[in-house]
Amino acid sequence: MTPTAAEVLMGNFMALVEPPPQESVGDYMASRIAVIGMNSLLASQETEMGAAVRVWENEAISALLSKAGTPSATSTEDLSITALDALNAKLRLVLIAVHEAVEAKGDTALDREILILYQAMADKRMLVLPVMAGS
Amino acid sequence: MSLADQLSAYLGRLWGREVQVLDLARIPGGASRETYRFDVDLDGERRGLILRRDPVGSLIDTDRRLEFSAVQSFYGRGVPAPEPVALEMAETELERPFFIMGRIDGGKAASPFTVDAYGVHAATIGEQFFSSLGIIAKADPVGLPISEVAESPDRAACWSKELDYWADVIETDQLHPQPIVWAAIRKLRRNAPPPAQKISVVHGDYRTGNFLHDGEGKIIAILDWEMAHLGDPMEDLGWAIDPLWGHYDPDKVGGMLTRTEALKIWEQASGLKADVQALDWWSLFNAVKGQAIWTSSAREYRDSGGKDPVLALSGWYTARRHDKIIADRLASLEGWA
Repeated sequence: MTPTAAEVLMGNFMALVEPPPQESVGDYMASRIAVIGMNSLLASQETEMGAAVRVWENEAISALLSKAGTPSATSTEDLSITALDALNAKLRLVLIAVHEAVEAKGDTALDREILILYQAMADKRMLVLPVMAGS
Repeated sequence: MSLADQLSAYLGRLWGREVQVLDLARIPGGASRETYRFDVDLDGERRGLILRRDPVGSLIDTDRRLEFSAVQSFYGRGVPAPEPVALEMAETELERPFFIMGRIDGGKAASPFTVDAYGVHAATIGEQFFSSLGIIAKADPVGLPISEVAESPDRAACWSKELDYWADVIETDQLHPQPIVWAAIRKLRRNAPPPAQKISVVHGDYRTGNFLHDGEGKIIAILDWEMAHLGDPMEDLGWAIDPLWGHYDPDKVGGMLTRTEALKIWEQASGLKADVQALDWWSLFNAVKGQAIWTSSAREYRDSGGKDPVLALSGWYTARRHDKIIADRLASLEGWA
């Protein structure tokens, strides 16, 4: 899942470091800064949970792949986001292939388990914006 | 030469008279184009206009001729589309293609990420919102300006044309494997929807946040026609009621009306049926289409050096919300969640 929190925080810096052209100050800049603020807020959530979620997801996918008869690497000693994402990408590619095979075979039980895993994966990756009242 | 000077020179040549551009200011919104508001002084009379210029990088890759012709198609035809003024494809005038429309003042657009966006006017605005969508769906594209630039698909091929396009966008732009959206794409291919009831103009991004209301219950402008095309009218309906645009209210589509109320208004205005099987398909499709747009945002954000924070928000927060929507819908369509 991209971008990473580190990329977003770097982007926030890049978005602010160059002075805007005259016609882009005012409402546009105010809106831009508000979005940069939201991105920073989301980055704080991702920084707190990002590694743990990736470790969980990698283990959950590995467990399911084992059940499907396709054992895969389950972990990495390097707990940097980059390393966890690299392992995650490999596991997700295998998961896609396994899911295609499960669908082709008509294995509804395993298909259901995969769809439940997808719900859990999406749940754990969710980021939350604060409640903002409408106009 | 400043952008204002370039614009003054262009409009002067276009209208054959001296034109002075005043108060040029970039405004937020319409993330696929750079959008500016400005006035022109015409012999002492001021007129408010909007400039939409192609960006260097964008959420989506769209053809401004389609956007302009879609606005032309509905201006003055029962839908509050802005007045189309000029389209310029040459890159010699303002460095990138652009078009100009009349400005509609006195309105505001809701952010999709707010709660209770329309307050006591929600139902009134919702009625106009789904009624206008029905009018767009009902219109015969033949004879409308958009038919001169948009390809008309076969009624039975609308779904595959759109699904192929957006699946290809994901294939091309994804930076990280996305098993959830690919499961949805496979499901959509296995379960084709019924043929379109008719070929309609599809706005392409008809949702909360893409119209202006006057704060007193009246919609005064339908905006952001950049993804307009010809196709199945159910496509727009599925996008308009996607949970992402619900202002966090699971009981109201678009944060305005119940789903039942919205579909009834749309059916009355369009003369079409919101077929359950078709709407199920187009609803899941629209979540895929959303994910494709957010996937492109993430790609563009990285490729452009992270300078546009809107691309980050779209490629990150919004992408994850749509993953959740797709995963829940896949489970729901299996009948066990």
